[in-house]
Amino acid sequence: MRLMTLAARNVVRNWRRSIVTTGAMAFAAAIMILFASLMAGLLRDSERNAVTMNLGDLQIHASGYRDDPDLYKRIDDAQQLVARLQQQGFHASQRLYGFGLAAAGTTSAGVQLRGVDIDNENSVTQMHRHLVAGEWLTETDPHGVIIGRKLARSLGVRTGDEIIFVGQASDGSMANDLYRVRGILKSIGEEVDRAGLFMTLDAFRQLMVLPDGAHEIAVLRANPDSDLDLALHTVTALAPGYETLDWRQLSPVVARILEMADVQTIVMVIITYIAVATIVLNAMLMSVFERIQEFGVMKAVGVTPWQIFGLVYLETLWQTATAATGGSVIGYAIAVYYQTHGIDLSNIASSASFGGIALDPLWRAYITADSIVIPVLFLFLIAGLAVIYPALKAALIRPVSAIHHR
Amino acid sequence: MRFLTHSWITLAIVLCASSATYAGTDARTRDLLRQIDDLWRGDSSHGIMRMEVKTAHYARQMTMEAWSKGTEQTLVRILSPVKEKGTATLKSGTNIYSYLPKTDRTIRLTSGMMGGSWMGSHFTNDDLVRESRREDEYDAAISFEGRRGEQDVIEFTLVPKSDAAVVWGKVVLTIRSTDHIPLSEIYYDEDMALARSFSFSAVKNMANGPRPTVMQVTPADHSEEYTRVIYEQLELNVPINDELFSLTRLKQR
Repeated sequence: MRLMTLAARNVVRNWRRSIVTTGAMAFAAAIMILFASLMAGLLRDSERNAVTMNLGDLQIHASGYRDDPDLYKRIDDAQQLVARLQQQGFHASQRLYGFGLAAAGTTSAGVQLRGVDIDNENSVTQMHRHLVAGEWLTETDPHGVIIGRKLARSLGVRTGDEIIFVGQASDGSMANDLYRVRGILKSIGEEVDRAGLFMTLDAFRQLMVLPDGAHEIAVLRANPDSDLDLALHTVTALAPGYETLDWRQLSPVVARILEMADVQTIVMVIITYIAVATIVLNAMLMSVFERIQEFGVMKAVGVTPWQIFGLVYLETLWQTATAATGGSVIGYAIAVYYQTHGIDLSNIASSASFGGIALDPLWRAYITADSIVIPVLFLFLIAGLAVIYPALKAALIRPVSAIHHR
Repeated sequence: MRFLTHSWITLAIVLCASSATYAGTDARTRDLLRQIDDLWRGDSSHGIMRMEVKTAHYARQMTMEAWSKGTEQTLVRILSPVKEKGTATLKSGTNIYSYLPKTDRTIRLTSGMMGGSWMGSHFTNDDLVRESRREDEYDAAISFEGRRGEQDVIEFTLVPKSDAAVVWGKVVLTIRSTDHIPLSEIYYDEDMALARSFSFSAVKNMANGPRPTVMQVTPADHSEEYTRVIYEQLELNVPINDELFSLTRLKQR
């Protein structure tokens, strides 16, 4: 206890150096807390985007559909299945897919046609709120379609313009009809952006001559914090004979990036702290060299090497603790700011995406326990490592030569 | 057969390689293939045909009227069923246009659509365009001659030239020795696995001589499926105005 008081006094004695050292550590800790919060925010938004923009938590397909998307591989009892899922408290929506050509004026492009169950889709995904221009699908306008932003650009169409779709209907006849662009989607993901052409389920059924069934059922848990594996298990049991997958399996690239992200944060923290470690090492080494005579005297009056080692460590501990407290408060404050306001990236990147999942141009921080604990914990760890050498140096001093040291 | 050539596809393909100079091919083979070409040759054609398509998922029947001139111009108009009546496909050079009466619009098929099915049949849009270029793409040789089953046949094997942009590994064409009427034509993919086979039957006198009036194509991976084209009327070397093959005329029924 006396050692702690002594250490505190030593820290205050050379207050200029202590402030610089502590300040550097606090600054690094604050930055790392902000960085970790921003990373956590990026991950959470990516995950939420992946799920609520398009995928849903879970998807049901007829077996084999995902490997070879074919108009005829359908979930025949889709309507009943959706009703069963809803009874169990899930949000669920049928989707139909088809392929063909969309033409506008003299340009044309291959499209992925999607029939959207507008009554249910809104409960599963947020696509209906994610429009650059125009309005979402409605039952009263069966010829109004929504298209992806890149498709709109490559066809050179805006809302209100007409689009012709040509493809092959399920009975082999030529499916073709004239549509009007009702809305243009913001960035959802590469596939939809480039080729997505959405229409109502009924319009799709009429165009492609598909009176029943669905190619996909997207499912969302009512409570996003409930266990995904449990939900997967429940839904698989409700949809026997079909393939049920969660979004991690559906979008393994994104899932993997998200898994890797924690490691990335730690690596980043360590790299930054190595710089901090050199400051700590330098400061403590200087402070030890300055006091060689003092340590010599201490040893001469019977202070053990371990006590001296402990003293140097405690001095560092005082400074680190101060830095950690200050850094946490500052870092937390900045992170809170970015959690509410976000960083607007829309000027730099209007449609960033990775793994086919669009990112929100407003990058928000998200403060988790980890985003505070990891930077603080690593600060103590790194400072502790950096001070080993100065502490040993002080502990192993020979009293006689130290007293004569000048 | 000029008719087949233009409007139709593959059959045509080799048979009608019209002015083909089968380079790298011996004189007798060349003479025979030319003779076959001559048998079917016409500078223009007009005909009516029926197409029956059967796949695992649907069976459909359509009738259509077709016109052709040279190797570059073909127009096909659907007569029935009602839902697709008036739908027209115009091939002009390497472009394919589709007129859609339901929307009253004409679209040009992009390269991405060329591999797609033509009117739900086992023919691709590419089959429609390809034939005219085909003649320069193969080396031919007689690979069998003699009795096979009930009749004497001559079998040719056509191998794509090394620089030809052809998706097939080889094509085997069999004709009847007596009158040089084609019997079958079998396509192998690049791994020399059977890809699709054409058979020709119902030889009748039509236009200026005997010719098979039924052509059936069966894809190798779905042997229960087929597309059958039955020629109901055919006239060769009839005068046809070039204007028929224009985009403006495509819209007018």
